[in-house]
Formats: sequence, structure tokens, C-alpha cells
Amino acid sequence: MQSGSNAFLEALRAIAPAAVPDWVLMVTAAVIGFAIALGLISVAALFFVWLERKVAGHIQCRYGPMYAGGWHGWAQSLADGVKLMLKEDLVPRDADRALFIFAPGLVLAAILGAMAAYPLAPAVFFGQFSLGVFFIVAMSSMTTIGVVMAGWASNSKWTTYGAMREAAQVVAYEIPLGLSLLVPVMAAGTLDLRAASAMQSGLWGMDWLIMPWNNPFMLPAGVLFLVAALAETKRAPFDLPEAESELVAGFMTEYSGIRWSFFFMEEYAAMFLMSAVGAVFFLGGFESPLTHLAAQIGGTELFVRDAAGTLAFDASAIPYQIVAGLTLLAKTVFGVFLMMWLRWTLPRVRIDQVMTMGYKYLTPLALLCVVGAAAWEAIKHALWS
Amino acid sequence: MASSATATYVRNIWESVKTTLVGMRITGKYLLQKPITVQYPDERMPIPDRFRGIHYLEQEKCIECLACARACPIDCIEMEAIRHGKELEWISFTLDYQKCMFCELCVYPCPKDCIHMGTEYAFVSFDRSEFKHDLLSFKGMDRAARARMKEAEAKKAAKDAAKAKADAAKTAAKDKPAADKPAAEKPAPDAPKAGSDAPKAGQDKPDAGAAAPGAGGAG
Repeated sequence: MQSGSNAFLEALRAIAPAAVPDWVLMVTAAVIGFAIALGLISVAALFFVWLERKVAGHIQCRYGPMYAGGWHGWAQSLADGVKLMLKEDLVPRDADRALFIFAPGLVLAAILGAMAAYPLAPAVFFGQFSLGVFFIVAMSSMTTIGVVMAGWASNSKWTTYGAMREAAQVVAYEIPLGLSLLVPVMAAGTLDLRAASAMQSGLWGMDWLIMPWNNPFMLPAGVLFLVAALAETKRAPFDLPEAESELVAGFMTEYSGIRWSFFFMEEYAAMFLMSAVGAVFFLGGFESPLTHLAAQIGGTELFVRDAAGTLAFDASAIPYQIVAGLTLLAKTVFGVFLMMWLRWTLPRVRIDQVMTMGYKYLTPLALLCVVGAAAWEAIKHALWS
Repeated sequence: MASSATATYVRNIWESVKTTLVGMRITGKYLLQKPITVQYPDERMPIPDRFRGIHYLEQEKCIECLACARACPIDCIEMEAIRHGKELEWISFTLDYQKCMFCELCVYPCPKDCIHMGTEYAFVSFDRSEFKHDLLSFKGMDRAARARMKEAEAKKAAKDAAKAKADAAKTAAKDKPAADKPAAEKPAPDAPKAGSDAPKAGQDKPDAGAAAPGAGGAG
């Protein structure tokens, strides 16, 4: 696991001849990582838009998209994407042109940056983030700046309302989100997503952090995290910044075409990342019986450093890496599905209710969880060491 | 006072968690059950009895009496046909579906019970003129009608010929020398006249009916 800073860089170092300077390898590795992250965000957005429409449809006793592509309309969001790309890129006359054009890019760039901390597999990752959770939360909060920028630059009352709500909501929910994540961080003793996942590798999920014998405050912290993550990603019932029935589309009212789709990609990528964080800390990360089985078949480390310090590629670890990566992906998709389920179950709340919930309920409860978890960990350490 | 506020606070948390779970159970149930909607162009909902859709005309029964056109409160039925004795050579029978309100009043007065309300309801077109819909299944005359007409004409011709013969015989008996020649020639132009009508009717072929759009042809 502690094989190096970047799996792609390690792989390139193993393949490339010694004459190639290190900075070339680093740039190449960065480009590969960027391409993969961008592809992951795009595909995730396409898939989740389709999934959202199917889930919404079936919850309302209808089918959702059925035609595009044949099987259950799988190509619907692909077709929509092509349509969005071909649409006219409108900028309102009285808008602040530079900011208006820059805002969607900033939103997408922030979430793309946050993607860097997502571990694809135990040994395949974009970078060595010892502060992984902190990084994801910080970067995904940066999208708020883009949203406020978009709302203000559009020069319309609906977008300004949306931007104000987004700012108020994110400030209110950032606190419980961070606090509820402190509980698993204390239980795991690390902010690194891969390290936290590696701690939970017992059979049948006995060592999952969420199990009450590990820390009884994890379960309420998980619920708090889910609610705070919904508000943080501005999903229903906390979709006040968009609020299509009262604010038209909130901060993105004036946007169209590909810029508008950037906001959507950001929304689904943010959901994906929040679910990934939740999956790692509250659902056992890479661990499942299948992962456990795959670990028995071959090695678990892709790059093994021998005594002399040279790296060797271990192909027998490939099944484990694939199974582990898919396990995390499945848990992440389940998290996103849970968010969609909640969206099509609950009606939107009023802005004062959002504030009440954030400040009067989630924050004190998260604080309570943090104090309890800290006490539990202190007692555990005092008793067992 | 303080304790009751705390109780409210705890109850609010409990209620919100509980009601959310209740809601998720309900939506989860719907998520798993089969959708109740129908994939429209591929499948259709069952059509109720006495449904009033696009009209259906039994053309071979129709006698062009115009009863339906007169009954129509908005005059959207127009028909045109040439009469050959009892038989009809159809040119058009149109209903303007931009006007028609599907009141079914055209159906009741029909003495032959040949116009009905159909089950087809989707009538889509890119052109307004296509809503003036022709109900005929074929133009001109059908084979049976033509055969009947020919039979009737042949019968009539035979009858005329017989009558002319009898007349000729009568006149010949009356004044033998004088009017014999012109009276004998009189039936002669009659016979080709009856024969020349048949090829004229034959020009309008019954297969012209293939050009008439069916009720579903608009889709």
C-alpha cells in the first residue's frame, strides 16, 4: 500500500527506460490521471442522469426513458449530451460576461480536483493523499464559489436568489458534514481514504468502522453525514439553490448548452464523491466477502519493492485490485441510489427549515457524536493499551 | 418548561427520522412494482365500448342518400358519386376532421346502417389538408356492382330489343308498304347505344380504391 506517490507514475517508472528524465514521467502520469478522472466524471454523470430518470420513473410507477439506444433507453443521456453540445451558447446581454463564462469551468475544475483523492483500487490511485477526506470536503466546497459566481454574473433575480441560498446552505451544512466525518476519522485514526479502508479488512465486515462494537457513535454519524451530504450537494429535499418550481432553475437559470451541463456534471460528480467518502468510512470501503476471497487467490500489492529498493510489478494482484475497486464502486453507486431514493420521497423544505435543521439539529447532534466517539476511543485506548 | 422543550426537540428528531423511513418504504414499494403506464405507440390502452373515434364507412352498402351529411350539425361530411341506375360510381366521401366533433349524429339517420364510429383515435399529419379524410375504401365501382350493372344493362337492352321488335312487327302489320324501312332501322341505333355505355364505365377501374387512404394511414 505504501508503494509510492502515484500508481501511474510507478507503472511508468517500471516500464520506461532509465534515460527518460523523471519530470517527463511525472507530467505523463499527471496527464493520464487527469484523463481518467475526467472520463470518470463524464461517465458517472451520464450514468447517474440515466439512473436518476429510471429511479424517478419507477418510483412514480412509470418507465422513464425507454427508446434511445434500445435496452431501457441506456443511451438517453448520451443523446442529451450531444444535444447540449450542439445548442447555442447564450450569454445574456446584461450579464458579467467574463464571470458568466468562467463560473461553470470553476465548478467543474473544483470537482475534478476533488476527484484526485478518489481511490480507484487499493493500489491504483491518483495521488498519495494522507489528508484525503479533508481534501475532498475542501475542494467540493469550492464549487460553491463557482455557483455564487454564476448566480451573480447572470444578473437575474432568480439566479441571485439561488446563489444566496447556496451560500447560506453550504455554510450551514459544512459544519455538521465536517463534524460527522470526524467520528470515523477518530475511529480509524487516519484521514487517508485508502488507509481507512485497509483497516476494515476483516471477514464478513466484522471490522467495519460502522459496526457498533468498533464505535457505537458511527451509526448516528452516518445518518448525519447522509443528510449533510444531501445538503452539501444541493440535492432534494435541500435543492433550494435550484428549486425549479420556484426559482426556475436557481443559479443556472440563464445557462444553456454545454455550460449548463457542466453544472449537472458537477452535481453528479459531487454526489459520487460524497458517496465514495461515505462508502469508505461508513460502508467498509474496499472490503466485502468477494474482496476477501480475491485476496486469498493472489497478491494484494501491484508494485512490490524488494530489499534493494527496486520496484517489481506483481500481476497476481490484478484480480484483487479489480474486485476491490468494483466493490467500492458498487457501494458508491448504492450511496448515490440512496440519495436519489430520498430525493423522490421527500418534498423540498423551506429555507428557514433548512437553516433550522442545519444549525439547531444537525450541528449539535454531530457535536454530541464527536464528543461521544472521542470518549469511546479514549476509553478503548486506556483499556487495551 | 425546559424539559418540555427538550422533549419536543427529541420528538422532532424521532418524528423526522420515522416519517422519512415511512416515506422511503412507500416509494421503495412503488420502485419494485411494475409500472402502470403503457408504452403508447407500441401498446395501447383497451378501447371502451361505444368509443367514438374516426368514422368507418361500409361503402358497398351506402346509397349516397346524404342523410348523414344533412344530420351533421357542422356540415363536415361531403360526398360525390355518379349514378348508373341503381349502382354508384364513387368519387369521394370526405369528413373534415378539423371540424368534426365526434357527436355520432351522422350515424343514427343512416337508412342502410353503413356509417359507424371507429376505434382509431390517433390522426396525425404534417398537412392540414390531410385532415379532410376520405372514408372510401375504393374509388369508382366495385366488381360486383359493375357485374350487376352490366347484367341490368344487358337485360334492359334485351328488353328494349324485344320491345322494338314487337313494335316493328306491329307497325309492319299496320302499314306494310310505306313505313317498313324506317321502322326497321329504328331499333338498330338503340342497340349500339346500350353497348357503348359498358366500356365507358369500365374506364374507372375498381382498383383505384387502393389510392384511398385507410383510417390508420396517417400514422
